[in-house]
Amino acid sequence: MAPSQMSYAPTLGKLLKSLNTQPLEASIEALVYLLKRRQVKGDDIANATAHMLLQVVAKSKWQNVDQLLAKVSNTGLRLAQAAPTEQVIGNVVRRVMGLIRDEASEDRNADEMGDSVSDLSQLPTTPTMPSRPGPTPLRAATLPMSKSMFNLLSVSEPVQSPVTGASTPMSQGASANMHALRSEVIDGIEEIMDEISQADDQIAGFADIQIHPGDYVLAYLPSPTVERFLIKAAAKRRFTVFLASTERQKPGEVPHAALRKKLDGLGVNTISLASNSLMAYMPRVNKVVIGAKAVYANGGVSTESGCSIAARAAREYSKPVIVLSGVYKFCPVDPSDDVTEFEQGDPSTFVDYADGEAVDALEVENIVAEYLPPQYVDVYLTNLGPQTRDHLATIMADHYESEDMGLSLHLP
Amino acid sequence: MSGKQASKGEAANKSKKPAKGGAEEKREDALQAVILADSFQDRFQPFALEKPRCLLPLVNVPVIEYTLEYLASNGVQEVFIYCGAHSEDVEAYINDSDRWSPESNLCPFSSVEFIRVSDASSTGDFLRDLDKRSLISGDFILVHGDVVANIPLDGILARHRARREANRDACMTIVLRSTGDSPHRAAKARGITPVFVVDPTNGRCLQYEEMHPLQKDKYVKLDESVFDYGEFEMRTDLIDCGIDICTPDVLALWSESFDYELPRKNFLHGVLKDWELNGKIISAEILEEGYGARASNLQMYDCISKDILHRWTLPYVPDSNLLHGQTYKYKRGLWLEDGAHIAKNSTVTKSVLGKTAYVDTGSRISSSIIGRRCQIGKNVRIENSYIWDDAVIEDGATVLHSIVANDAVIGKHSYIPQGSLISYGVRISAGTQLPSKPLPRISLLTSEGEPAKTDIKLVGNDGKGAQYEEPEDDEDSDSEDEGDVDPAVLQSSLIYSLAGLNISSESISTLATHDSDDELSDDEYEHGFQSKANRERLSSFASDGSAAAAMKLDQFHGDAVHGLVDALRADDNEDFDSAKLEFMGLRLANNASDSMMRKAIAVAFATRAAELMSPENGGLEPTKAAGRALTSKKGAVKFITEVGVGGNKVDLHAEFALALQKALAAIKGLDSARAGTLLAALLQQLYNLDVLEEEGILAWWTDARAAENDTLSKIKEKSRVLVEWLENADEEDSDEDSDEEDEDSD
Repeated sequence: MAPSQMSYAPTLGKLLKSLNTQPLEASIEALVYLLKRRQVKGDDIANATAHMLLQVVAKSKWQNVDQLLAKVSNTGLRLAQAAPTEQVIGNVVRRVMGLIRDEASEDRNADEMGDSVSDLSQLPTTPTMPSRPGPTPLRAATLPMSKSMFNLLSVSEPVQSPVTGASTPMSQGASANMHALRSEVIDGIEEIMDEISQADDQIAGFADIQIHPGDYVLAYLPSPTVERFLIKAAAKRRFTVFLASTERQKPGEVPHAALRKKLDGLGVNTISLASNSLMAYMPRVNKVVIGAKAVYANGGVSTESGCSIAARAAREYSKPVIVLSGVYKFCPVDPSDDVTEFEQGDPSTFVDYADGEAVDALEVENIVAEYLPPQYVDVYLTNLGPQTRDHLATIMADHYESEDMGLSLHLP
Repeated sequence: MSGKQASKGEAANKSKKPAKGGAEEKREDALQAVILADSFQDRFQPFALEKPRCLLPLVNVPVIEYTLEYLASNGVQEVFIYCGAHSEDVEAYINDSDRWSPESNLCPFSSVEFIRVSDASSTGDFLRDLDKRSLISGDFILVHGDVVANIPLDGILARHRARREANRDACMTIVLRSTGDSPHRAAKARGITPVFVVDPTNGRCLQYEEMHPLQKDKYVKLDESVFDYGEFEMRTDLIDCGIDICTPDVLALWSESFDYELPRKNFLHGVLKDWELNGKIISAEILEEGYGARASNLQMYDCISKDILHRWTLPYVPDSNLLHGQTYKYKRGLWLEDGAHIAKNSTVTKSVLGKTAYVDTGSRISSSIIGRRCQIGKNVRIENSYIWDDAVIEDGATVLHSIVANDAVIGKHSYIPQGSLISYGVRISAGTQLPSKPLPRISLLTSEGEPAKTDIKLVGNDGKGAQYEEPEDDEDSDSEDEGDVDPAVLQSSLIYSLAGLNISSESISTLATHDSDDELSDDEYEHGFQSKANRERLSSFASDGSAAAAMKLDQFHGDAVHGLVDALRADDNEDFDSAKLEFMGLRLANNASDSMMRKAIAVAFATRAAELMSPENGGLEPTKAAGRALTSKKGAVKFITEVGVGGNKVDLHAEFALALQKALAAIKGLDSARAGTLLAALLQQLYNLDVLEEEGILAWWTDARAAENDTLSKIKEKSRVLVEWLENADEEDSDEDSDEEDEDSD
C-alpha cells in the first residue's frame, strides 16, 4: 500500500544513500541515533558499522597510521556505546583495525626493502605491543604517536608545524604511502562487507550436509540466517521442521507465517510448538538449529532469549545442537556475567498494554538475548564450514590481530 | 500503480493550493512538524513558574527531548516550535543543545524555527498565527511539547494521504492508543475522559465529547446525525497521544473560528459538530500497539515516568542514552549514570540515579528517580518520588510520592507526605513534618512570580518558601485537561490541586452547548428544576425521567441562553419580538418544559446584567445594570412576564426569583456579595415593572431551596432590605394586586 517514497522514517538504506552528500560527522551521528533508537537491527548492524568505518577511512583527515587507528577506534567506540549489547560492532571495528595494521606493516616492509625508513611511516605498534592482549589500543596508539611527532619535529625544520611539514620530500613520500594505504584499507573493508553480506548464503550452502532426509529439525525463534538455512535445505531434502516460540500470540496470527509458507511450498512440513511443550517433542527431534547473535571466545553463544531452553532440552536427550553464525559474529572476548550485556525488550511481548491490571501489577523483564553456555553447543556452522569449539580460537586468531583482541569499547 | 497514485495525489494537492509559491512547492516532500511547547495551563505549578514545562525533567531528561527525538525518529525535516511562557529559556535550551541547535550540522532536522506570539493566550492563537504565516506547505504533524511516544508515523501518514486523495475534505488524523477494558493507570489518571464516536469501518471520527468524574450525569448526548452513518462505536478507552496529522485546511478552520482555544474540546468538538457547515472529515487512528501519551499534568507525569521505567516507551528509556552526555547503564532494576554511588548497606530498587548522585548508608529508595548530583543522606526513606537535579535530602528524612525540585533541601528527620510538591530552592528545616492537608506545594515564588514570604510555621525555622496558592481567576482558560478535578478518583497519583474543584466543574449540559464559556448551569441547579417541572402547560411532554430528554433539554438550554443574551447585547433598536419568536421556536423544537424555559430566561438576563457590571462594559452600578438588562429592549419585560414567569401564581413568581438567584450564583467571576446586590436590584426592578409580586418574592425568601448552600444564602442575604421593605409596603398598597391583573391580561 505505502510506496517507498511515502516513507519518512530514517532507515539504514537512506543513510547509506546520503553518505556521499553528508559531512562525516553528521553521518556518524545519524547512525549512532539509528542504533540508539533501534532503527537498525540484527545483521544490518555489522554492515552499517563497516560502511561507516569505510567512510572514516576515506573521508577523515589523517597523516599517519596511528591517527587513522585512533579515528577508527574512536568511531567504533561511539557506535558500540550507542548499542552496547551488540557485540558485532566491536568485531567489525577489530577487523578493520587489524586490516589497517596489516596493510601498514606490509607497506613498511616494502619501504624497508626500497629506500630508507621514514620516521613518519614507521609503525610503532610492533615494538610496543606485547604478544598477548595488552592495554587498550587507544592508549597504545596515542603513546607512540607522540613519539613519531616528536621525531618529525626534530628531523625537519623545527619551526614547521606537522601539517605544513607535508611539503618536505620525506613527508611527500609518506603521504603517497598514506594514499596507497588508504585505498588498500578501503579495498579491505569492502571485502569485509562482502563477507558479511554473503555469510548467510555460505552458511545455507552447508544445509544439505547438515540436514538429512527424514530429519525432524527444531528451530527456536528462527533468525533470518536460520530461515535461509532451512529454505535452502528444503530445496534438496524432505524433512520436518518444528517451529517453536514463546511470544504472546495475537489471536488469528500464525507465527512465522512467511517462513511456513515458503517451506510448505517446497514440500517441507512445519509444526508450531509452544515452548512449554519442547521437552515432550524432543525425543522425536533429530537436531536443533539456533541462530547466534554473537559467539564468544570460550564458545558461549548469545542467542534469542529462550533458545537455551531448547538447547538444554536437546542436551537432556543427547540431540545435537547446531549454532549458525557468520565468522564476523565471532567475538574475541569472554562473556561478562553482567545482565547489561543483554538487551531488554519492551514488555508488550508478554503483556498487552491494554491489559491495565497486568500492566499495573507486573514487572516484566523481557530480555531479548540470552547466553547459551558452550557445553550445550555441538557444532558451530560458519561461512567457513562446520567447526567445533576447539577450533574457535584458531578462527579468531586468523581474523583478529592480537593487539585488537583486548579492544575495550568502553570509555577509558 | 502506487507510484501513479502518489503523483496523482500531488497533482490534486497542487490544484488545492494554487496560492502557494513555487519554492514551497518544492519542499512538498519535506515533512514538517509544529510543536506546541506551551499549552496555557497551570497543571505544573508551582514548577512551571520558574521553568517552562517542556523543560521539566521526565526521568532526568527534559520533556521536550522526547518529543524532538520522536519527530526525528519519524524523519521530520522542518520543525516549528511555538513557545509561550519562558520562550527565551526554551530557545536557549535548543540553541545550546549539540543535537538540536539549528547551527549544528548534527541536527537531524533541516530547520528548527521558533515562533513567538506576543499576545497569545491559547493554543488557538498559536494556530491562527501559524495560518497567517503560511509556512506550512503540505501535511504536517501537530504535536504538543510534552508527547512521549514511540508510534511509527509512516503508516499513519500513508493512510492519511490515501484518505486525503480519496476525499479532499479529509483534513486531519488524530492518533489514539486503545487501552482495552481494564484501564491502565494512564487512562485512569486523565481526569477528563474523552469520548470518541468513531465509524469503525473507516476510522472516521463522528463526534467528540468530554466527561469527567465530577459531573453528576454520566451521559453524553449523541448528535442525531451520528445515526446516519450506520455503524458507529463510542470509545472511552482511548488515550489521546496528542499527535495530529493535519493538512493546511486545519489551520484555515482555526482561523474561521476565532473563539476556539483548545484543540480538542473546542476545535475537534466544534468541527465535528458543524460538519454539515464545513464538510470536513476528521479521522482517528486507533492503535493497538506502541506507546503514546502526553505529560500534560502531574498525574500523567507520574504515569509516564513509570511507563518509561517499565520500558513501554522503548527506545525512549534511560539506558538508550539518547541525550548527549548521558551514560546510563541498566543493572538489576537500577539505572545508574556514571559516578552515581550507592553506599554499601542501603537498599535501592527500581530507581534511576543521575550522574554523581550519592546515596549514603542505611537509606531505602524504591521506584524513585534521583537527578544528577543529588545528595541523599543516611537512613533516608524515599518512595515513588521524583528528586530533581542538585536536591539534597539530609539524614533520616522521609519523602513519599512527592516531587522535590532542583536545589531544594530537605532537612534532617523531616517528613514529606504523599503528594507534596517542593519547588526550586525551597528549604525544609530539620525535624519539620509537613502537613498532609492541604497538600504541601511549597515554592519560593507566589503565583504572580513575586518572591514569597517564608512561612516559618510550614517550613521550620531555617526553612525557605511558602505554600503556593493557585490564582483564582484563571480557571476558565484551562479546562482541557482537568487532571485535578477529582483527587479521590486519581487516588495514588500526585495530587496537586484541590482548589478550584467547584469552579472548574462542568455539568453534562455544558457538553451539549455550543460555548463552553457559558458555564452557567450547575448540576444541582438543574436537578432542582427537573424535579420541579410541574407546571400545567406542556408538562406532559417534559419526560424528565429519560436521559435522552434531559440531554435534549440541555441542548435547548444552551441554545436558548445564547440566543437571548445575543439579542440583549445587540445595539439596535429592534423589538425583542424576534428573539421571543426564536425562543418559542426552540422551545417547540426541543419540547422544553416550562421550568427549562424559566431557567433559560433567568440565566440569560442574569448573564446580561452581570455583564453590564463588568468593567469592560462600563462597570455599571448593580441597580443600573439590572435596569438596563431588563428594560433596554422593548418587549423584554413582557417576554419575562409571559414566558419567564408564565402565570400569576405565587409559586411561579417564587420559582422565577429562585431561578435568578441560582443563575447569578453560577456566574463565574462574580463574587457572592456582588451577585447578591445584583439579585436585589433585579428583584426590585422586576417588582417595579410589575413582573413579580411581593407575595412571590416573599415566598422565595422563605423557600428552603433559596438557602441550601453557602453561596446561595450569601446571595440571598443581600435581598433582606428589599424583603423587609416589601413586607412593610404590603400593608400600604393593598390594591396592588388588581393593577397587576390588568397588566397581565393584555
